[in-house]
Amino acid sequence: MALAIANDPELHEVQQPAEIPRRARLRLNPDRTILAALLAVVLLVQGWNIADYPTVSDDEGTYLAQAWAIQHGHGLAPYTYWYDHPPGGWILLAAFTWIPALFTHGQLIAAYARIVMLPFTAADVALLYVLVKRLSGSRWTAVATGAVFALSPLSVTLQREVFLDNLSVFWILVAFVLASSPRQHLWMHISAGAAAAVAVLSKETMLIAMPGLIVAVWQYAHPRTRKFTLAGFLTALCLVGVFYPLYAVLKGELLPGPGHVSLLGGIEFQMDRPGSGSVFSPGTGSWSTLHDWLYYDPVIVVAGVVALVPMLFVSKYRGPAISGLTLVLMALRPGYLPAMYIIQILPFFALAIAGLGHQIVRLLLKGERIKWVRRGAVAALVGLVLSVVGPRWVAGDATALTSDPNLTYTQAADWMRANLHPTKSTKIVVDDALWLNAVQDGFQPGYGAIWFYKVDLDPAVEAVLPHGWRSIQYVVSTPTIRNDLSSLPTVNAALQHSKVLASFGSGAGVIQVRQVLDGGSS
Amino acid sequence: MLIELALSIFIVLTGLFLTAIAGGTLWWQLHAWRTPEIHAATEFRPPESDSQLSFSLLIPARHEQAVLAATVKSVLASEHNNFEVLIIVGHDDPDTADVARLMEAQYPDIVRVVVDTHEVKNKPKALNSALPQCRGEIIGIFDAEDQVHPELLDHVDHALRESDADVVQGGVQLINFHSSWYALRNCLEYFFWFHSRLHLHAARGFIPLGGNTVFVRASTLRESGGWDSECLTEDCDLGVRLSSRGAKVVVAYDADLVTREETPDSIKALIKQRTRWNQGFLQVYRKAEWREIPDLRRRLLARWTLVTPFAQAFTGLVIPIGILAALIGHVPIAIALISFLPILPTLGTFAFEAVALHEFGRLYKLRVRMLDYVKLIVGGPFYQVLLAAAALRAVWRDRRGEHGWELTQHVGAHLDAEDHGVGGGPVPEAV
Repeated sequence: MALAIANDPELHEVQQPAEIPRRARLRLNPDRTILAALLAVVLLVQGWNIADYPTVSDDEGTYLAQAWAIQHGHGLAPYTYWYDHPPGGWILLAAFTWIPALFTHGQLIAAYARIVMLPFTAADVALLYVLVKRLSGSRWTAVATGAVFALSPLSVTLQREVFLDNLSVFWILVAFVLASSPRQHLWMHISAGAAAAVAVLSKETMLIAMPGLIVAVWQYAHPRTRKFTLAGFLTALCLVGVFYPLYAVLKGELLPGPGHVSLLGGIEFQMDRPGSGSVFSPGTGSWSTLHDWLYYDPVIVVAGVVALVPMLFVSKYRGPAISGLTLVLMALRPGYLPAMYIIQILPFFALAIAGLGHQIVRLLLKGERIKWVRRGAVAALVGLVLSVVGPRWVAGDATALTSDPNLTYTQAADWMRANLHPTKSTKIVVDDALWLNAVQDGFQPGYGAIWFYKVDLDPAVEAVLPHGWRSIQYVVSTPTIRNDLSSLPTVNAALQHSKVLASFGSGAGVIQVRQVLDGGSS
Repeated sequence: MLIELALSIFIVLTGLFLTAIAGGTLWWQLHAWRTPEIHAATEFRPPESDSQLSFSLLIPARHEQAVLAATVKSVLASEHNNFEVLIIVGHDDPDTADVARLMEAQYPDIVRVVVDTHEVKNKPKALNSALPQCRGEIIGIFDAEDQVHPELLDHVDHALRESDADVVQGGVQLINFHSSWYALRNCLEYFFWFHSRLHLHAARGFIPLGGNTVFVRASTLRESGGWDSECLTEDCDLGVRLSSRGAKVVVAYDADLVTREETPDSIKALIKQRTRWNQGFLQVYRKAEWREIPDLRRRLLARWTLVTPFAQAFTGLVIPIGILAALIGHVPIAIALISFLPILPTLGTFAFEAVALHEFGRLYKLRVRMLDYVKLIVGGPFYQVLLAAAALRAVWRDRRGEHGWELTQHVGAHLDAEDHGVGGGPVPEAV
């Protein structure tokens, strides 16, 4: 009863604020040692073989090309920026691409650029560690959260890739950590709002996590100053966020109109994207996306969803649990479900799974009597979980550490570097994954090295191809391009009128560098 | 090309500079709510021991016969066990003097009347007339229409002893936010100033004091030579002089214990009052007592505090110009975005003001309606115009050498309409 009174927020309001635990001094800090060990494991598993697995995605190439455009002063994208996503993610990428440049010379640039994701994943784990220590007070829960987050085979696959979602996760974790600061400083909450805005500007779907974050800010603030910290959080969130539409307004691109792209047009495109069906109806796109996730690791997905619900009732975890659940509910509704969507939920799954584990262990250990039985039960439980999950994860991660599905891509890139000698007017059509290589090989960015879908969809590109497919000299045929041919007549025609210069791999995954036969009249 | 470059550089520099000013001002305004500990420290601590100090409470009164008795009675109702009240009246103001004499006759042990015989009257002269006759260890000042809380003195007594301070500045709060759109903003100014900003000044060691509910150790006050009788803001001047000499000042704000006041009754009166404060700040700036402050940071704070009214008027003017230049001048998009940066702290200020209004309503148990929030936001730019006008007017009068006390018409809800003149209306030197 006494405890219940002490926890009553109304009473707390009139009391003097409690003494704040200051950050511990540097020396002999077990948290640093534990975190360093955890990060070493995470970086090893995530970093080893990172360029070779998983298969390089077209989207990775797109974001990297856009980061390249910023670095080289071409604006927000090598082609007209059309508000497909807010640009926060690749603006940040642009500031960090010097890191992979240290490690890669030639090779498949889009794949090696993944090294840039490692500092973010490491930072995510560190942020989760800090957050969970504040929420649960338990080091082992903090370690378990970081491990689940970064070592699940699903995580190892998706977090390695240059996806905006991974950058957005970093910022939302920054926001949660700032919001949960034990100092409860107004500045921390204002910064949390700014970080949350950057998270949304990195990947717009992170907006779905906001209600949970707002609940967290409300809960973690002291009643004395709560009104002001919440105002600071919301103000920073809105005011930083508003710069994106402001950018569109200043460019005259807020509203749709003839002859220009627009922010609302971009949003409309994303909203009107053909739905991929429901995750519950077999055969739909969403269904297969879900089963892809489950194929990599059913544990984190199923246990995550199950753990989120009870964590709603653990007061300090309520905010993150709400964020996780709203993200899950959004995925369940029929509509367009991108393959990388799950990335945003992974930290909340990890928080909920480890948090629930912590609650169960605490429950088992509570009480004075029959202590050894209780400890035995905990040991048995931990053993059971490890024996079920362990082998599965070891096998999944082993694949990530050893297999090389990008071999054909790399070979094609090597061949292009050695054998193609473009002039200023040579045109090559590539998918986004090979675009940076083509630019490095000397093709003119944008209108010499051309993203395949721009050929038929961007009027500015059509303008530099006066003779249609005949203005093109080379096409690199990859599975990505072949999947979309039905909507790309010019690319299709160029492929029809071409011969194979070099071919790598076999079957559906074959990559061919092809020369367009009539293509001389550029 | 060259013009565009020059324009871009202008926009970036002003944009960043104005953002820094507006952001810094906002951040200082929010001092009290930075952490729960800071917020707790802005309040009076409840007295833990019996009071031990003796107080001389000065009440300068000029044409205040209507309210003086009530004020003195509220002071006499104090629970403190050792204080005297000195009512200061002018030799040319028999009506007020009569009321004062009556009070003196009724409470001969506590109340005394001091007659100010200066030919030209003002508040510092009145206070200086009473200073030699004060017997208490602590000298406190109230205005003639203040309502004083009976427990205030005990809290001040405790605060002085506990912190070994030389000065305690208690909270003053305008309450009548319903009266008009500018009254609403005026009330909030006081709320931010006494609840928050002054505490930052006290912590940093440079503080312009308020005009009443201020308590100074008599020895400190005498050593520093009392009040500057030629200064338009004698209270600000006293604060600056005391802080320059390293006096320790404690500020405490408690909704229950604040001295309640009313806003000027017309826009004209508000501008006059603000003009006087601004002119006073200029005087204090020129007197340069603050140059005695040993460390640079505090000197900069002093310099900045005293020119703030003028900087505000300036930024209010320049922000729209910067944005306009960016919109018309066809500068690169990134530059145009920078021109909008100063808007962030400005809009942030609005948000925090709305929250403060809510808090104000809660603390004083006043009902704040939706319409009040609308008034607050819509009135913001117009209030800035008023403040800018007062700043310009102050500079204008200063240039022309007009340093006289403008008579401030003040009509409280509980007062008859009349000219209270100098030392009359509420003259806390705030904002």
